[in-house]
Amino acid sequence: MTAKPGREAAFYLAPAFLLALGVVLVPLVFIVITSVWSPATGFSLEAYRGLAESPLFRRSLLTTFEISAMGAALSMLLGYPVALHLSRLAPRARAFCMILVLVPFWTSILVKSYAFTVILGKQGIINSVLSWIAGSEVYVPMLLNRVGVMVGMTNYLVPFVVFPLLASLLAIDKSIYHAVEILGAKPPTVFWKVTLPLSMPGVTSALLSTFVMSTGFFVIPALLGGRKDVMLANLVDFYTRETLDWNTAAAIGVILLGIVTLIAGTAMQFQRSRGLARGT
Amino acid sequence: MSQKPIQSSGRRRLLSGLGLGTLAVAAPFVLTPRRAFAAGKMVLVSYGGTYRTSVESALVKPFQQEFGVEVTVIDTPDLAKVKAQQMTGNIEWDVFDAVGAPGAQGSKAGYWEPLDPGMFDAKDIVGGVKKDLVPFYMWAGGIGWDPAKFGPGKAPRTFAEYWDVKRFPGLRTFRNRASETLEAALLADGVPPAKLYPLDIDRAFKSLVRIKPYVGKWVDETPQSISLLERGEVNFSYVYASRVRTQTAGKYGFSFDQNLLGMEYLAIVKGAPNKANAMKFVQFAMRPDRQAALMTLLGNIPTSRKALPLVGEDARKWMPNVDNPNDALLNDEYWADKFESVTRRFKEWVLA
Repeated sequence: MTAKPGREAAFYLAPAFLLALGVVLVPLVFIVITSVWSPATGFSLEAYRGLAESPLFRRSLLTTFEISAMGAALSMLLGYPVALHLSRLAPRARAFCMILVLVPFWTSILVKSYAFTVILGKQGIINSVLSWIAGSEVYVPMLLNRVGVMVGMTNYLVPFVVFPLLASLLAIDKSIYHAVEILGAKPPTVFWKVTLPLSMPGVTSALLSTFVMSTGFFVIPALLGGRKDVMLANLVDFYTRETLDWNTAAAIGVILLGIVTLIAGTAMQFQRSRGLARGT
Repeated sequence: MSQKPIQSSGRRRLLSGLGLGTLAVAAPFVLTPRRAFAAGKMVLVSYGGTYRTSVESALVKPFQQEFGVEVTVIDTPDLAKVKAQQMTGNIEWDVFDAVGAPGAQGSKAGYWEPLDPGMFDAKDIVGGVKKDLVPFYMWAGGIGWDPAKFGPGKAPRTFAEYWDVKRFPGLRTFRNRASETLEAALLADGVPPAKLYPLDIDRAFKSLVRIKPYVGKWVDETPQSISLLERGEVNFSYVYASRVRTQTAGKYGFSFDQNLLGMEYLAIVKGAPNKANAMKFVQFAMRPDRQAALMTLLGNIPTSRKALPLVGEDARKWMPNVDNPNDALLNDEYWADKFESVTRRFKEWVLA
């Protein structure tokens, strides 16, 4: 390693950058153009005007963010203890447990969604067991509503929480733990004062990536959700494939991307300024 | 091919390798025209799963044997991809298996090649050959249930009864789209099938308001319309006769007292690279013997009148009587015009 690490990094990153440029930026530019231009009408902001006046779009936009935020937060609550446990295991045991985390990740969403109807349904495993325990018919609605959507989404998203978090947790210097324990900190104090603050980069990136991923969800709400769980992706599909109104479909994509970029950018800025304040 | 030049080393090896590579890359371009002349090929866009295996055994294989044309079958007839192919001028598909509304929509947009009516036996074909669409078969939608839970008289058999939640309590399903659902709503409200179109949209929504609290699921993915019955999530479901036959091995109930009939079409994509073969294929698919063979497997209604008596016994049990005055035929031209505006209102109403 000689001087100018920046130039060296640029050298190694260039292929990935060029690939991303080709497969992300070019189609993206095409989408933006499609949202304001069509061969029939030329340049027009009609698609955006139509969306601004559409209650269907507004409701779906709201639902999308609601579901995405809930999904990301719940996945974090479920994933954090898992990551914490994994970080304390011996490397070999950890590798085995990581495979367990990954198994659902390798299963098709469609198959899992059908499997959930068997577990959560009216005559599903959970309701049957509850009825058996209660000795009478018990029915907890967990399917075809928001609960079903959340179960399906967290099942999909938890691996995306566990891995960045695990990286953050493993990066914490073990001598810090020794130090605070010697100073007499109890485990809850260690968690709130050391583990959690130092794992914040992982928390932020996990929350962000799961949130962004959720905004594009499609099959899970369609299969496990109720009538009000309509995501923007369903709307994009409707305009792309059913009405062939690609201007509107593209405009929805551009608006969604804009909002998500704004949120992600703000969150990262916030994270950075806090990092600077702490001097890390 | 000799291995020797490849085994030699250095620059010569690289050069000869390049030569072989060039030959291999160029071969299809040099060879294809002659082969296409002798045998030819074409691309059929149709559906996956058992539908695909049925189409392959009843149409594609016999067609290859008879005409020597190699048919590539691709899944999912997506009108958006036809639009993309038309916009870029890079046409990859020849024959398109089109549900009613997209078929008519494509026709309106000019995505199909005109068909020569002389290719078909006009008197034989139900529904009539259109300028660029030929009716392939009809499918029937209606009320389905599990007969183990609901014996005779315990399940609704018409749309009016489907709406009667006092006599037939429990949750139901509808498709999560305006077409079919609005027709069912108007039939339930007493509109005679012959006077359905143009749809009285306001009346249809008023009728739907009555049933909305009893809808367990507005179904997006077709297989779910039956799987929700199987799981006991809903008591009754809007399903398709051919799917009840295949997905439940014919064990579930399906009412033929009142059905919505939809038309499936075949179309040839405008500018299709193998237009002549595509024409031959469409003509072949409409032959009574081929119609009978395919519908025996699919359980849909052949559009060739001569094919109907040739269809297998079991499949015929799953076909409605096309002369039933309670049935309504979906009007594809109506939906091609109104699809966007009415569906948008429908989706807003479902969300509200």
